[in-house]
Amino acid sequence: MIEITNLKKVYNGVTVVDIPALTIHKGETIGLVGNNGAGKTTLFRIMLDLIRCDSGEVLSKGKNVVSKDGWKHYTAAFLDEGFLIDYLTPEEYFYFIGSLNDTSKAEIDAEVSNFTDFFNGEILNRKKYIRDLSKGNQCKVGVVSCLIQNPEILMLDEPFANIDPSTQIRLKNIVRNINREKHITTIISSHDLNHVTDVCQRILLMEKGKIIKDMETNPNTLEELEDYFSVLQ
Amino acid sequence: MTLTLIHHQWKAFWRSKNSGKSITIRVIMALLILYLFANLLLVSFFLDKILLSVFPNVDVVSAFTSCLLYYFLLDTLTRFQMQELPTLSVKPYLNLDIKRRQIINYLSFISLSSGFNLAPFILTLPFLIKIVLPQHGIAVFCGLLVAILGCTLFNHFFSLWLKRKVNLNAWWMLAFLGVIGLLIFLDFYLHAISFSAISTLIFAAIIAQPVLAIMPLLLAVGMYFINYFFLKSNLYLDELHSASVSGKSVSDFPFLNRFGKLGDLVANELKLILRNKRPKSAIMMSFFFLFYGLLFYNNPKLGAGYGAAIFCGMFMTGIFIINYGQFMFSWQSSHFDGILTSRINIEDFFKSKFLLFTIFSTINLILTIPYAYFGWKIIMIHCIMYLWNLGVNSLMVLYFANRNYRRIDLSKSASFNWEGVGASQWILSIPLLITPFIIFYPLQWLGYPEAGLTVIGLTGLVFIITRQFWVNKLVEIFNQKRYTIAEGFRND
Repeated sequence: MIEITNLKKVYNGVTVVDIPALTIHKGETIGLVGNNGAGKTTLFRIMLDLIRCDSGEVLSKGKNVVSKDGWKHYTAAFLDEGFLIDYLTPEEYFYFIGSLNDTSKAEIDAEVSNFTDFFNGEILNRKKYIRDLSKGNQCKVGVVSCLIQNPEILMLDEPFANIDPSTQIRLKNIVRNINREKHITTIISSHDLNHVTDVCQRILLMEKGKIIKDMETNPNTLEELEDYFSVLQ
Repeated sequence: MTLTLIHHQWKAFWRSKNSGKSITIRVIMALLILYLFANLLLVSFFLDKILLSVFPNVDVVSAFTSCLLYYFLLDTLTRFQMQELPTLSVKPYLNLDIKRRQIINYLSFISLSSGFNLAPFILTLPFLIKIVLPQHGIAVFCGLLVAILGCTLFNHFFSLWLKRKVNLNAWWMLAFLGVIGLLIFLDFYLHAISFSAISTLIFAAIIAQPVLAIMPLLLAVGMYFINYFFLKSNLYLDELHSASVSGKSVSDFPFLNRFGKLGDLVANELKLILRNKRPKSAIMMSFFFLFYGLLFYNNPKLGAGYGAAIFCGMFMTGIFIINYGQFMFSWQSSHFDGILTSRINIEDFFKSKFLLFTIFSTINLILTIPYAYFGWKIIMIHCIMYLWNLGVNSLMVLYFANRNYRRIDLSKSASFNWEGVGASQWILSIPLLITPFIIFYPLQWLGYPEAGLTVIGLTGLVFIITRQFWVNKLVEIFNQKRYTIAEGFRND
């Protein structure tokens, strides 16, 4: 689904991303972990063609993301609040996202109604603009706006960081479900090792721009990761 | 402590990413402000002559005193419109071990550094030195100076207090404007009260008894404490912020539906404009510009000839393109990453800008029709400039939009806000202002002004017809520049 070769990004002489080769297969659920500054967000941005890489390339379904726009039709991402149009109400934003996919308001309403639990009554019909929502609720809007696009690839950057425990659990269930039912390729970064090892089948551990571990999740993974992070201290 | 806070403010100013790069802009701004002050100074040096020509039968000093209260009334109104509240910068300090008193003193102190507080002195000091000092002596001079200081400070803290009140409850604004309106009505229409008489009374008393100048100063001190205690009991983040968040309107623009995806993009941008402070004031400005023509067409010296109509026509039908367009795509800087990764086709993105320009220019063109009063020729020229704006200027603005990497915070007000102003705006203004004249004047000079107009109109039309070609070019440039644009927008 996604192939990365010889990818490199250097800021002021510091290499922030350096990935010689990485292949992500269709239907995989990938957890991206690493300390601050490991290059997780930069990697996301390069994969989404928001930052120009210095060398190498990212192929999505065999096509370079830089030259062709096609990947946008099956990729949905929420990295930060900069992806939301903050002067719209959540409903308006969902309709807008829907209109880009030629989805009618009624269909969007139907899609969004699947997430009533996830929203916990804090998003819809509140007559609030997105900018007036809390960070956690903005995150909910961002995640759902991705899901209603019915993507084949989903990228979320630290989705668990600002949301409450119940929502974290709901989000994990959602990710598991879409993976099982729709085989969506999902890439999630997180600092919460429990969550990622819980939902992801494959873990990529980044350090200083490099992927230093690439492992299938098994019962020992969490321990292994905790070992790695505690050694660093 | 207050000094430390000021020191922080100073660092914040110089270290902000916007100011670091744009030192040239600051120099230009400083020159502009100096120029404004120089103008004020010039007026004040000849204030006695001006007063004498307006009130030929009255003593200069009493003419001066009769006007002072009007000045301060006007000052209150302007401050209400333009003065900024220094609030947000206190956020990181509220949770620290700093006394509220110190934070409030800092807020009050820092707010004093405003041109509004300097202007009255620049305007009156030369006059006071030139006329009052020799005529009435040092005591009266000091008395008037102290009185003016008192009035200035009173106005300053009054407007801060009022603005904070308005932020909490918008009815205060209506009440304030109502009172001002009533006073004006009573004075100018009913002649029930006379501000000039009151003004003369007050300041004549001060001239007779300079010690009385302490009264306005005491009023100012009183106002300071009202403001102080108000702040002290309201120094909470959520309350210092803008007005309530409940009951936002959910507006739709059904007439845009026929444009499909383009319509959706335009509807979004209209919401951006209507729901955010800064773009909203840009729009208000563009409607004020509709009166621009009155300045020129009323005046036979300026209004004769085609030049004035070309100039006014361009501004009145194209002010939205110029005023709003010069900051494109900075308006969308806070969600630019979202735009890049969404399924918005970049070609549609550009076309939606053209559609938006067309909507506003057309509204403005329709609204300028009453200028037919000054002759149908003017309407014809407006139409020509409308074509020019849609064909050439909109293209020019979008060409420069691809070179604009500055972030804009939509929630801040527009007056004296130079955020997002960069070299591209200054460079843009040059071709925008002179191109039509480069076409027109040589032909007029040769004796064919009508031909000049025709060429302008046809050029606009040609660019409108060939728009697809230009849109493709813009998309090409955008694709090269988008990383730089997105990166610039991500930086706060």
